[in-house]
Amino acid sequence: MKISLNWVKDFIDLSGISTEEIVSKLTFSGLEIEELVDQKKIYENFVVGYVKEKKKHPNADKLSLCVVSDGTTDYPVVCGAPNVESRQKIVFAKIGAVIPESRTELKKVKIRGEISEGMICSGKELGISDDHTGIMVLDNDVNVGMVFSDLFEMNDIILEVNITPNRADAFSHFGIARELGAIFNRKVELPNVRLKESKETSTQFAKIKIQNTVDCPRYVGKVVKNITVSESPEWMKKRLRNVGLRPINNIVDVTNYVLFELGQPLHAFDLDKLSGSEIIVRSAGSEQKFTTLDSKERLLQNTDLLICDADKPIAIAGVMGGENSEVTTNTNSVLIESAYFRPSAIRKTSKKLGLSTDSSMRFERGCNVEITNYAARRAAQMMAEISGGSPAQGEIDIYPEVIPQKKVSVRFSRITKILGYKIPDENIESILLNLGFEIDFKSDEEISVIVPLFRHDIQREVDLIEEIARIYGYENIPDIKNIKITLDEKIDQSDFVNNTRNILTGLGLNEIITNSLLSDEAVNGFGNAIKILNPQSFEMSNARTSLIPGTLITISNNLNIREKNLGFYEIGHVFEKLTDGEIINFEDFKETKHLLISLTGSNREDEWYGKSRKYDIFDLKGLADAYLNEISLDSELTDSYYKTPNSLFDYYYEFKHKDNAVGVGGRVKKAILSKYGIDQDVFIFDFNLSLIENILPGAVGFKELLKYPKIIRDCSFVVDNEVEAAAVIKVISNSGSKLLKKVKLFDIFESESLGQNKKSLAFQLEFYDFNKTLTEEEVEKDFWNAIELVKKNFNSQLRGQ
Amino acid sequence: MIEKIHLVEKEFKEDIGKISQSKDLEELRIKYLSRKGLISVLIDEFKELPAAEKPKFGKAINQLKNEAQESFNEKKKYFESLSDNAEIKLDLSLPSRRRVIGTKHILSQTLDEMKEIFKGLGFSVHEGPELESDYYNFEALNFPDDHPARDMQDTFFINDKFLLRTHTSPVQIRLMEKQTPPIRAIMPGKVYRNEAISAKSYCLFHQVEGLYVDEDVTFAELRGTLISFVQQFFGKDIKYRFRASFFPFTEPSAELDIWWQPKGKDGRWMEILGCGMVDPNVLANVNIDPEKYVGYAFGMGVERIALRKYGISDIRTFFDNDKRFLIQF
Repeated sequence: MKISLNWVKDFIDLSGISTEEIVSKLTFSGLEIEELVDQKKIYENFVVGYVKEKKKHPNADKLSLCVVSDGTTDYPVVCGAPNVESRQKIVFAKIGAVIPESRTELKKVKIRGEISEGMICSGKELGISDDHTGIMVLDNDVNVGMVFSDLFEMNDIILEVNITPNRADAFSHFGIARELGAIFNRKVELPNVRLKESKETSTQFAKIKIQNTVDCPRYVGKVVKNITVSESPEWMKKRLRNVGLRPINNIVDVTNYVLFELGQPLHAFDLDKLSGSEIIVRSAGSEQKFTTLDSKERLLQNTDLLICDADKPIAIAGVMGGENSEVTTNTNSVLIESAYFRPSAIRKTSKKLGLSTDSSMRFERGCNVEITNYAARRAAQMMAEISGGSPAQGEIDIYPEVIPQKKVSVRFSRITKILGYKIPDENIESILLNLGFEIDFKSDEEISVIVPLFRHDIQREVDLIEEIARIYGYENIPDIKNIKITLDEKIDQSDFVNNTRNILTGLGLNEIITNSLLSDEAVNGFGNAIKILNPQSFEMSNARTSLIPGTLITISNNLNIREKNLGFYEIGHVFEKLTDGEIINFEDFKETKHLLISLTGSNREDEWYGKSRKYDIFDLKGLADAYLNEISLDSELTDSYYKTPNSLFDYYYEFKHKDNAVGVGGRVKKAILSKYGIDQDVFIFDFNLSLIENILPGAVGFKELLKYPKIIRDCSFVVDNEVEAAAVIKVISNSGSKLLKKVKLFDIFESESLGQNKKSLAFQLEFYDFNKTLTEEEVEKDFWNAIELVKKNFNSQLRGQ
Repeated sequence: MIEKIHLVEKEFKEDIGKISQSKDLEELRIKYLSRKGLISVLIDEFKELPAAEKPKFGKAINQLKNEAQESFNEKKKYFESLSDNAEIKLDLSLPSRRRVIGTKHILSQTLDEMKEIFKGLGFSVHEGPELESDYYNFEALNFPDDHPARDMQDTFFINDKFLLRTHTSPVQIRLMEKQTPPIRAIMPGKVYRNEAISAKSYCLFHQVEGLYVDEDVTFAELRGTLISFVQQFFGKDIKYRFRASFFPFTEPSAELDIWWQPKGKDGRWMEILGCGMVDPNVLANVNIDPEKYVGYAFGMGVERIALRKYGISDIRTFFDNDKRFLIQF
């Protein structure tokens, strides 16, 4: 919200307090100042200028060449306005001025070959009106050289205040004044309203009925007759513009002015357009459509609160008025509405309509039910002053059930307990009084206050403690020098993921973090995705079911910048819907932590010591194995290999723990890669970390080191090409030898000399005994037995035999 | 036969191990590797064997011969390298055979740094789901239905009841439901906000929240803890300020700003975290007696802090995963 400091000073004397102090104190007490605009500085290089000369620009029909004097110097100025003439007094922006409209700095330029040293401004360029048809021509009696901000009294300071949702009470100039009063301990006063009222009473001209008193506890109406709708006076337009409002006419401007002054939203109905001269406040019910002031047709819910006349709706309560009762230049009499609506009712309507207005923002935070009457009178007074209107006597005030004030007490001991610092008792009382609380009673232990109805946020003891602490000043609570350490159990649930990250980083991979929200196309084929109800865009309309699409997008982006050799990993959550219906509880979906490893391109660049090598499936296996080994899980898993494609991979393999798939990896199909514009092989391994975390073995114990020598034996077999190496290893390993501890494949080759469709597999067998040195003879039998088994099982030959 | 081979191998290893000067090398060569050396003798014997026995020993003898020759060459090179004025024939200026270690994402690194600091201050680390119920994300945290406070966090909804969490505070609720005080933990994790993607905001970011509930927790201690954090993270001389603010789940609430002055630019206050004393309604929601126990809570965005710390101007950079960016950290 924009706040004019000059306006605030209508209610409080701030003399002797610097702007810096005001900004700092408001910020500390919870009303953060996000921006400060000092008008004097903004208009620093703008002065009253005199157009001494005007001729046509030699090279452009629509431009003029002027000589402008600022009283001391003459400047050549190129001007494009149609209304510029010599001997005019105008607003002249000198070189270095920052034009408020465009926020650009004015420089010396050549326009179509002619030098221009300054600019003659329009009202719009100056940010003081919407007029951009031509330059602003000043009265002839102003002094040339006068500083613009003095001439137009642009000497205000405008603050952009961040009003948190709990502070409805501060959502106006008076509210800010009240806050400053509490902070600086100064008196704050509302303007006195003195009305010259006619003999007729408001009740003679209009009737008001509230049908829904739950959503509308109070409705005040006041009639003003014989108004002349026209432009507002300059001072009012200036104030409204300063806080970001566009002046409309003197009646609408008054309602806006009072809203920004008091925080009470008002609406002015054209009384003559109200059928039956009647106001009925009721729920929309069967009413379905309504056209608001902005000429938009709105769809209504049956619970939306409406303001109606005898036969039709005329406003959506608290949100926006209707076109059909709008004040126009023909309006003669108005009914001022000053009501109090239930905050959550207005919020619901405003949310559903997607329509947030200055009124709705205040009503939904909670207005001051007690100021309604005063606000109506204040508006009537101003309408009388600037539109010549004649207010009818009194108000129509419908307030069937008076909202009671709350009493809240606070224990001094509790303040100290929560804050860890004792605030002097006398400070406490004055802070509460200055904030508008009335003292109910006070004892040595506690103080009880009556909460004003504009403080919807004060309900409990702790709310008062906050008020006391923030006005006393958080900065005045001293820093402590030590904190307590408790001896409760310390755990780190992210340990396992951290460890995983360390391992994969050590293995040379780069961690990526991708968007968890994906398009329909990206999640297609990766399980049952959960849809976002209100996505930002189609690209982000699903929670991801897999880390694969994000990784492929990342690979594709990197290939586009010519980074061809990539090894990535990502750790993240994936989501899968488990029901065909709506998600109604946590069993209807599954959220799992995954790790995705990806490789593409080559292992490195070509170097002087050797050529690079394209990554293949065995690089991927190497990473997966190293990871599983590092977390001591390798011996717990079974692996299986698939040489025919599935929906994702050309070929792939899988690790299982009992019946659960721990991870799957392989070469990604071309058809998928081409969707991402990837034209090189990509290998991916996808681990289910949630599952792995659950099956991790406990601490790994020490294994005794071997004290005796090993006996190593080599053998190689000629087998059919289809025979899998792992199957041969399995047969050798399970050949029944207690001494055989390790089997390693160390050579494979195919050659015509071996025969058609044959290959040679060479193995190294490691024999040892933990308790003694083995002799050759002990190994001999087991070695040959294993060889025989391989020969029999695979119909193979021992090579060299 | 095989014993003989092993014997020669053993003897050779012993002999070569004993050699301490280059002139003894020649003696070794003659003993084993010359035409009449022990290994040649073995080969001769092997040739005499019947054909059936040959395969058993051929490879072993061959291996012995090769290994012995290699060890001899190595040793010779070694002695050559020791001699005072011999120049080695290597271009040492050739680029290295570089080993390349990977990288953790800069957000992970920043998060790790924060975790370490808080663990040092006695905090545990807890995690929780990203897809949450309205109850855990809002209701239990004292966000009234139909209150403008809900607008503070633009939400991605799945439906009326489920959503992508907008903060990691649901983990606080889950933790307090399970554990009795004292509870002191931080909750790092991904959170989601329904905001248009721009240089300043992304649809998701990472958060670290903290919670401490015990019988005598105070606002002063909250300040002390967070001041210690910013001093450890940004440096001892960091300028900071606490100012009043509003969050539905804390009362009183505050925000912590630090003074930020990038090189060559104007300094300004930058908000880095929100905090406050846990609202009694929140404690009551998890059946912790708010009269007996007091708590504090805080939360900060990892991206926002990393952007400043590393001078990155666009938040999307974190999620582009450009390799040239990734390998910088």
